[in-house]
Amino acid sequence: MADKKLTTEEILALARSQGAFGSGGGDAAPEPEADAPPVEETPLAAESAEAPAQSAAKPSSTADILAAARTQAGGDDTEKATPAAKPGSTADILAAARAEGTSGGAAPKKPAAAKPASTADILAAARAGKAGGGGAAAAKPQAVKASPRKAASATPAGERPSVAEMIKAAREGGPAGADAPPAKPKLPTRPPLPVKKKGEASTRRSFFADTIVFVTEPFMAAWLAMGAIAAIWGLATARFMMPNMIVEPPTKFKIGPESDYPPGTVSTKWKAERGIWVVNTDQYDGKGMIYALASVCTHLGCTPNWLEGEQKFKCPCHGSGFYITGINFEGPAPRPLERVGLKLADDGSLEVDKSVKFQEELGQWQDPASFVEMA
Amino acid sequence: MESHPDLTVSVIRGLGWFYLIVAVMNAFWTYRVFRSGAHYNSIAGFKDVPKAATWGLYTVVLAMLSFAHVIVDSTPADFLFRLPVGFKNLVDVVIANPISYFAVSMVIFVAMILLRRVWTRPTVAWVLLNIAMLFLGVSMTDYDFRQIVGKPDNVPIVGMLFLVGFFTWLYFYKSVENDRRIAAGEPKIEDEQSEQVLVWPDLVYTEMICMLLLTAFLIAWGIALQAPLEEPASAVKTPNPSKAPWYFLGLQEMLVYYDPWMAGVVLPSVILVGLMAIPYIDFNPKGNGYYTFEERKFSVITFLFGFLPLWVGMIVLGTFIRGPNWNMFGLYEYWDVHKLEVLNNVDLSQLFWVDWLGKPLPRPDANASALSQAGTIFLREWLGFALVLAYLFILPPLMAVTVFRSFFVKMGFLRFMVLANLILLMGALPLKMALRWAFTLKYIVSIPEWFFNI
Repeated sequence: MADKKLTTEEILALARSQGAFGSGGGDAAPEPEADAPPVEETPLAAESAEAPAQSAAKPSSTADILAAARTQAGGDDTEKATPAAKPGSTADILAAARAEGTSGGAAPKKPAAAKPASTADILAAARAGKAGGGGAAAAKPQAVKASPRKAASATPAGERPSVAEMIKAAREGGPAGADAPPAKPKLPTRPPLPVKKKGEASTRRSFFADTIVFVTEPFMAAWLAMGAIAAIWGLATARFMMPNMIVEPPTKFKIGPESDYPPGTVSTKWKAERGIWVVNTDQYDGKGMIYALASVCTHLGCTPNWLEGEQKFKCPCHGSGFYITGINFEGPAPRPLERVGLKLADDGSLEVDKSVKFQEELGQWQDPASFVEMA
Repeated sequence: MESHPDLTVSVIRGLGWFYLIVAVMNAFWTYRVFRSGAHYNSIAGFKDVPKAATWGLYTVVLAMLSFAHVIVDSTPADFLFRLPVGFKNLVDVVIANPISYFAVSMVIFVAMILLRRVWTRPTVAWVLLNIAMLFLGVSMTDYDFRQIVGKPDNVPIVGMLFLVGFFTWLYFYKSVENDRRIAAGEPKIEDEQSEQVLVWPDLVYTEMICMLLLTAFLIAWGIALQAPLEEPASAVKTPNPSKAPWYFLGLQEMLVYYDPWMAGVVLPSVILVGLMAIPYIDFNPKGNGYYTFEERKFSVITFLFGFLPLWVGMIVLGTFIRGPNWNMFGLYEYWDVHKLEVLNNVDLSQLFWVDWLGKPLPRPDANASALSQAGTIFLREWLGFALVLAYLFILPPLMAVTVFRSFFVKMGFLRFMVLANLILLMGALPLKMALRWAFTLKYIVSIPEWFFNI
């Protein structure tokens, strides 16, 4: 094949693209998978239309012979090919033999008649009973001469596929090729697989077995595995929402008697543990009262510091400042600090309830639950 | 012994090595000038003095300075080479005040653009670099400056400032040259050089060398400057000052002037979307593939205004100048937690109702219906709403018929409105700052009931 300019696939493609048969399985070629794409490339095949004819003089492989036979433009090409007397392969022989019965035998020059692309095509055509032209002039003599050595698969070029392969290919391609569009030999065979199996299973097996078959499809198995892992993760996350132990302090706690918080002071002793300041002052509305402020800046949630010298709460993040009453007066904080619930418990100590908030701008500081009035 | 000494022996020796680096840099520069053969025609009676002589003299002085630092072993308090107190105080006063800080940064910005032909000249740029390095070195003799600039967190910021300076210089240098060539009808720099290099070996070798050098540099850095780890975090204890990562300090500075949802959500989104919108609103076909300033004045100035004074400037402000309680501190000022700054801010509604009309602020009745409360709130804030709506909806048409008339004609309605709104939103930041400084204004529209403040 040294002087050949086109590969087998290209030649096959060329042959098929000329459109005589609605052929299917191009499996007679050495690389069955590889020949699928070029089949569709009609322009390429058309460009190199003469190439197979040239190579007919030296038919060295199945493809060459086939090409030569099929693309013959005139009788002399055919004659050259005939004396060569090298039957291309079993496939050709089979094809020729079968085509004989149905072919018109006429019009050897008719290009349309001369293009069975492969064994599969030929078989398909033969079975469908509508083989147009048959390999006619070229194929017939080959068939005659080759018949004695029909069984031998050892055709001149060693690289050719074995008979078994060809027959297998022919069988695979045959049914599909009969009326399928050209150039899609193998692709459709994969997707229908699960459907076929499923249908098969449902008729023959139990529902249980059916399910087993279904879920053991790699595709389904992968999805099921992923779904299962996601479900486990979801459950674990849900469980995570209910911890075995809550380290948060309770929202209600006692902070000692009123006498611990003398008037005019801000106690920071609960800030680290509970996030509140306890303030005793009369600056808010003139009445002496104790209230608890949440130590969360109303700007962006940092923890302000109580500056005793300046008598203000000052946030280190953006410089918001609050009076001892909790009212914002400097920096970007848009609203006063929030109070949390405070009441006098039965035992005389103050009890903070952090589960409730009182916002000044909503008028909630008037709520008696937000402060304890001093006597 | 002082607990916070301005100078210690190790600091002085370290500065000696620093000055040595500057001296070596200038030795190279001297060599470069000498090779160029530049001469003064006449200086102090001598004819044809090579310019390299001045640089050589300067280099020698630097080397001697370095030597004097390195060999020091006497009491550091007696060391004379330090900043005068008057200079420190002057810098502190200028820098610790937001008005003068932004005024200075704007002056530098304008000067950078107007004087671009001057400062892009290599000699001038080299002098500026020397000034910056000497300023850094001399300032290191101050304890407070050393604390803030030498903090491992902040060292890369200092380095990046030099990088920002370099790349800005590079842009203007190439642009000035190209603009001159365009004006003279000569081919541009980019036209004269082939832009193609080979991936192998040019690019691959360059990348490999960069990789090796950077790895070595990072290892050395990681050993020399320890990671600034602090005590374990606590939900109720906020470091004072609490600083965002350096690249977010611009945002943190915006948060001083705006509500969190505005400065933390709306404005950052507008910045990102606005940057993405640039290709669609840019109708100027020039400046494609080459450096130029003259042909893209509006684009360059707008972008650099947003980038240098409003972004880099605020990173500098946040990194070096914001101190405890988010107060501003001068570069040489002690970070006093109790520094008192009067920052009493009032909302526009407060100014309008209480200060101007002398009436109490309308307060929604907590027991009234939601609609009635909303009515009261809108009545209270009507002026702010009117101003904001006017800013966003009346200014663009005004711009279209006045200063941006040619833009409007070229861009069409939609693109012009996008551009106008982006510019207005960018301008909203310095505007709000100015309002804060001028009127101690906190929020133009302030509805804490709905967590809505502008």
